[in-house]
Amino acid sequence: MTDLLPILETLIFISVEPLTPAKMKEVLDDVPAEDIDRALEELVRRYEAGDGAIRIIAAAGGYVFSTKPAYDPYVRKLLQIERKRKLSSQALETLSAVAYHQPVTQSEISAIRGVDSTYALHTLFENKLIKIAGRKDAPGRPLIYRTTEKFLAHFGLNAIEDLPSEEELKKLMEEENA
Amino acid sequence: MAPPEIEPVPAPDGYQVKLGVFEGPLDLLLFLIKKKKIEIQDIPIAVITREYLGYLGQKERINLDREAEFLLMAALLIHIKSQMLLPREQPLEPDIDPRRELVDRLVDYQRIKTLGGILREKEEEMSQVWKRTALTAPLPEADLDLIEVSLFDLAESFFALMKRKQDDGRRVVKSKEISMADKMNEITSLLRERDHLDFLAFLDAQETLEEALIAFFCLLELIKARRVVAMQEKLFHTITVWLRRDEPLSGESS
Repeated sequence: MTDLLPILETLIFISVEPLTPAKMKEVLDDVPAEDIDRALEELVRRYEAGDGAIRIIAAAGGYVFSTKPAYDPYVRKLLQIERKRKLSSQALETLSAVAYHQPVTQSEISAIRGVDSTYALHTLFENKLIKIAGRKDAPGRPLIYRTTEKFLAHFGLNAIEDLPSEEELKKLMEEENA
Repeated sequence: MAPPEIEPVPAPDGYQVKLGVFEGPLDLLLFLIKKKKIEIQDIPIAVITREYLGYLGQKERINLDREAEFLLMAALLIHIKSQMLLPREQPLEPDIDPRRELVDRLVDYQRIKTLGGILREKEEEMSQVWKRTALTAPLPEADLDLIEVSLFDLAESFFALMKRKQDDGRRVVKSKEISMADKMNEITSLLRERDHLDFLAFLDAQETLEEALIAFFCLLELIKARRVVAMQEKLFHTITVWLRRDEPLSGESS
């Protein structure tokens, strides 16, 4: 069990893109899957609890090394980046609507927001935060949209299920209204 | 306790500024409902209609882009109000409340807003976290405005450069035999060494027009073969070329 940790650490370290547990299990095909899951959890916990600058995050279905937020200013100075780009509030609202209602069409999104969302959707599509997932079986066969893996990565989500459920949102809304 | 003052500071071109704050009519309605501390499931439609119209009418100028959508909502509010005022033989049953549809839309919209707030927090958090890709791709995450360049952008940049070269008064004096394969190998090995390449500078450094032309064709060929990716931050800016990460190391063509 314990010697699994450095192996997983190695695999994640050499992967620039998030490494999925499925891939790790492929490499360690003689180790029971639940042992790998447990070791992964332990590895993530150790990095998180340690006082080093590095941690392992789950992003878009895989694991990847990242820095802790406290060291952000130094990285930006090194890379000479003022600030990471953020989405406009219009784009963010549209993206939330897609994330919550997907698969969804342009006219459905516009109806939900009460404003025409063609342009906002186009921008999200260009930035690969949403993708076309086919056409709806309805008059005019409109395109339907879904969020992408890049969407998950952009917000540090592991899977779409990480978004709050309807009940959780309801609770949050009640708090807001209180 | 008195409600906090939420009216924004009036600006000279007030309406546009103010409506700019609201993403749309639903956003404005939600704001008014909160401001008036109204229970969303039981909206006093007369009050909210008056507030809404007051908000629209208060200013002389409105954001023309969104005007129709704001007015459409005003019409809907007035319609619902008239529905509720109509005398009826029997009182309305709850499930045919004329406000029902609007309330459902508002609740759904509020849900989206709340989700948006959560995503904004997460985005903020992620903006302070760096992955190792930050070093291999010089413009990490910041590619929200980057465009993968089209052939036309490339061609345009190329011709602009060639024009400049011509104006330099340079002439081809000697002819050198260069094959596309050699040039391609030169580009890919440079990329492997340096990670990325300022393509315009690279073209500029070519000795002859012919060589530059070959280099340009090589770039097109490499893009087509999906071995490199070319990005341009803004139109007419330089074009940066990277190796694709999955580019096969042994992929040299001979």
